[in-house]
Amino acid sequence: MKKLISLTVNGKSYQIATEPNQTLADLLRYELGLFGTKKGCEMGDCGSCTVIMDGKPVNSCLVLAMQANRRSITTIEGLESEKGLHPLQQAFAEKGAIQCGFCSSGMILSAKHLLDKNPKPNEAEIRSAISGNLCRCTGYQKIVEAVKGVRG
Amino acid sequence: MLLPKFDFHEPLTLPEACQMMSEFGRKARPLAGGTDLMINMKKKIVSPEHLISLSRIDELKAAQCSGNMLKIGSCVTVAELTESELVRKNCSALCTGAKALGSPLIRNLATIGGNIASARPAADLPPSLMAYNAKVVLKKSSGERLVLLDDFFKGPGLTELQADELLTEIQIETPPPYSGCGYINMGIRKAQDCNIVNVASFISLDAPDGLIKTARIIMGCVGPKHLRACSAETFLIGKKASEELFAQAGEAAMKDCSPIDDFRGSAEYKRAMVGVLTKRTLAMAYEEVRSEN
Repeated sequence: MKKLISLTVNGKSYQIATEPNQTLADLLRYELGLFGTKKGCEMGDCGSCTVIMDGKPVNSCLVLAMQANRRSITTIEGLESEKGLHPLQQAFAEKGAIQCGFCSSGMILSAKHLLDKNPKPNEAEIRSAISGNLCRCTGYQKIVEAVKGVRG
Repeated sequence: MLLPKFDFHEPLTLPEACQMMSEFGRKARPLAGGTDLMINMKKKIVSPEHLISLSRIDELKAAQCSGNMLKIGSCVTVAELTESELVRKNCSALCTGAKALGSPLIRNLATIGGNIASARPAADLPPSLMAYNAKVVLKKSSGERLVLLDDFFKGPGLTELQADELLTEIQIETPPPYSGCGYINMGIRKAQDCNIVNVASFISLDAPDGLIKTARIIMGCVGPKHLRACSAETFLIGKKASEELFAQAGEAAMKDCSPIDDFRGSAEYKRAMVGVLTKRTLAMAYEEVRSEN
């Protein structure tokens, strides 16, 4: 039976009726049309479904929509502002850190969380922060360089 | 990948959660971080009719030290363990294990209680917890019991937990003076990997530069559950710590484990690695003893 939940996604409040067995990833994609959140393995291995929930990056394929009740979610769509792309998005585009693009949303959100906590990470810290995000093009070097280009 | 259908419950208090567990029994599963349960449900390995989410119960999310007892709520996340000053100061090896678990994304969801209750023989937290002689509180509506983690595991995925019980707290006596603990997990990758072998070793000396009074060595991935290296432990008691002694304890530990051949490695290789990791974790533990003096 569907239940009503309320949550904030990218600063906007929503009230949505959801089935208990719907994941947060599916809610974002199919109920809210936010297709920037990708579904890769759906087993918590690849990180392409990464979203930031109450300030922490998580695999949205492992979170039930109902667990997101009264929580705040940031997806890749939430990073762009009136001023344009988020500096990380800009850096990924400029440094060629986007190849097929499937891992980019998750990579950028994991990197954003790192930079919010630690504005001057070293390379090891960057690599550790994105260790739950797999790039199937194996383009890690340029991804790490893009994040380095944005650090304070 | 679809999840099977179920009813979702989100109790706000522990008594309410226990009540639900006693009402639904085997038809229910408690849901903590979900990093194990969601996957098993997607793979249709388990299809509980009721999921009882523990994520809104605040009393399960606290870690505190009262007297000489460190109490960690079962829903403290693995990420919180890595950041907790209380854990780092009292149980550094638990902190090492927490940092080695999964990936940052998994650590933000996964809980200490879940890592114990899922009872995977390769899990990252049980070895150090057992080395610290941790106990778990199992609670149900009609009461609670305190079980030594050593007695909690029964086999892969099998534990002492009854259908109507919840694992609510982990209790660790703060280690005595002149003691230390080390943990090493060995795998192919640094993140998102299942361990090939993991070992935690705890030693406690009778004086700053004295003899070994207590030793606990726990080996993972080399049996149906985490195993104690009993003969290695006995061998160490009453002796003076040294590199050579630790190497001999490693050789004894190799006889205490019962690994199997699988795609992660041969039994022979895992047994050899138990020897190496036992020696190295003992050296780490001894290093911690000396750094405190």
